[in-house]
Amino acid sequence: MLAIMEHLGRRTVRGLDELGYAGSLLGESLFYTIFGRRLRQPVRAASVVAQMIHVGIEALPIATLLATAIGFMLAVQSLYSLGLFGAQSFAHVGIGLALVREFAPLIIGVLVSGRSGSALAARLSTMTINQEVDALRAIGINPVRFLVAPTLLAMVIMLPALTMWADLVGLAAAGMFVSASLDVSFAAYVSNTAEVLSVNDLLHGLGKSVLFAVLIAIIAAVNGSRVTGGSEGVGRVTTRAVVHALSAIIVADMVFGFLATR
Amino acid sequence: MTSAALQEMLAERRGGLIAPPAIEVSGLDAHYGSSQVLFGLDLAVRESEIMVIMGGSGSGKSTLLRHLIGLERPSAGAIRLLGQDTGRLNAAGMLDLRRRIGVAFQGGALFSSLTIQENIKLPLREHTRLDERTMDIMARMKLEVVNLSSCGDLMPSELSGGMLKRAAVARAIVTDPKLLFFDEPSAGLDPVVSSALDDLILRLREAMEMTVVVVTHEVESAFKIADRITILDHGRILEVGTPRQVRESASERVQNLLNRRAEEAIIDPEEHLRRLAGGM
Repeated sequence: MLAIMEHLGRRTVRGLDELGYAGSLLGESLFYTIFGRRLRQPVRAASVVAQMIHVGIEALPIATLLATAIGFMLAVQSLYSLGLFGAQSFAHVGIGLALVREFAPLIIGVLVSGRSGSALAARLSTMTINQEVDALRAIGINPVRFLVAPTLLAMVIMLPALTMWADLVGLAAAGMFVSASLDVSFAAYVSNTAEVLSVNDLLHGLGKSVLFAVLIAIIAAVNGSRVTGGSEGVGRVTTRAVVHALSAIIVADMVFGFLATR
Repeated sequence: MTSAALQEMLAERRGGLIAPPAIEVSGLDAHYGSSQVLFGLDLAVRESEIMVIMGGSGSGKSTLLRHLIGLERPSAGAIRLLGQDTGRLNAAGMLDLRRRIGVAFQGGALFSSLTIQENIKLPLREHTRLDERTMDIMARMKLEVVNLSSCGDLMPSELSGGMLKRAAVARAIVTDPKLLFFDEPSAGLDPVVSSALDDLILRLREAMEMTVVVVTHEVESAFKIADRITILDHGRILEVGTPRQVRESASERVQNLLNRRAEEAIIDPEEHLRRLAGGM
């Protein structure tokens, strides 16, 4: 019993320690983004753009595929469930709101977490083990502003952009299925959907994606920079970063959804 | 007079309190968690001197180096580099100081996503307003110094261990630092490559008048390059002196280290058991 309590205590302390470290990483990243140039430690635009290409542009094909699949899936399920009540003509309402407010930001968050979050954790952990992070510090380069801040900024910019893209692609894919199934024109579907969706719905989804971006980047950075144990450790922290980020995204999604609809 | 004897004589003369200290360590304590690894170290390294820090595994030499290059903060005591107390410097002051310090890490620590040339240019890119062409020229000059002039466009993964270390030296000296630190420069290298690296360190000191601190456990290499040697043992300084003084040291522990006897042989068995039992 004592051993279990001790174990729980240790895990709690470690969790709080990681939470504090995550806060300090976020604070430091924002600090260098705003004041870095004044301190001769600028967050370089070239690094941010390079990360934006990696996080956003290179993810476009897979994001398009996933958004198409989600759009089709929502259309199929909506038509089926509403068909039970003979209300298929209202399918665009559920599809539009569910996709823009929920599914597009969530699926993009999951995608970026698995793709770029894991890459950041692996990169930071490898650099830590190879003393590259020590070398940065010895050269006089703050590792947070050099490695973490550009990725954080890139994610905060590119996740909402990818989410908007997923909104468009998903709605289009769903529209094609719905218009073919209900024998209505695609233009009518678009017009009906546009009537249902408000700017508030769009901002709800985009706000979530910004929150997910911060979570993915910081969780990857926390895990990557706290690696121990050589190449085995790299694998361990990379997996941990993805699992933690996915869990955080889903919990944050729930909390955000709850608070935003009060 | 042999060249070795001449070198020792010059070293002793250099150590004749003429040059002011480039590095001063006073009362340095260091802890990792609850265990203390350095105990009140006092050390001075004079300008243009090559100081070699030696010791067995766990002696604290790497910890001392990490404190000297500012990667760790002392638990107690002070470190003065080029006359500046590192503990009292603000971020801007520390940044200025770091520009005058070069560090060559054990495995090179080159950034794997950058070419060798880009690695060498990184400190210039971060700390100067030089244009791209000037940085290219400076990087190529440093690559020539370390005999890697044809390797600028290669990635670190394409270099051998010895070449990586030389590339790391090129990056460390690209800002023409006053202090140059080496972490185990000979580790993992064959004797020929290791000797060539020793020659490079000597050449750099002569050409650029740098103060050089080398952490190593390679006795042969240490005696070849050192003006003075500091022997660390369990976080305490055992001996500081010229290679001749160290070689003639009356300390049994020093002689054990120089003769590469197993460290366990000089550990008190009861003390060792107590440590294994968790310091009870």
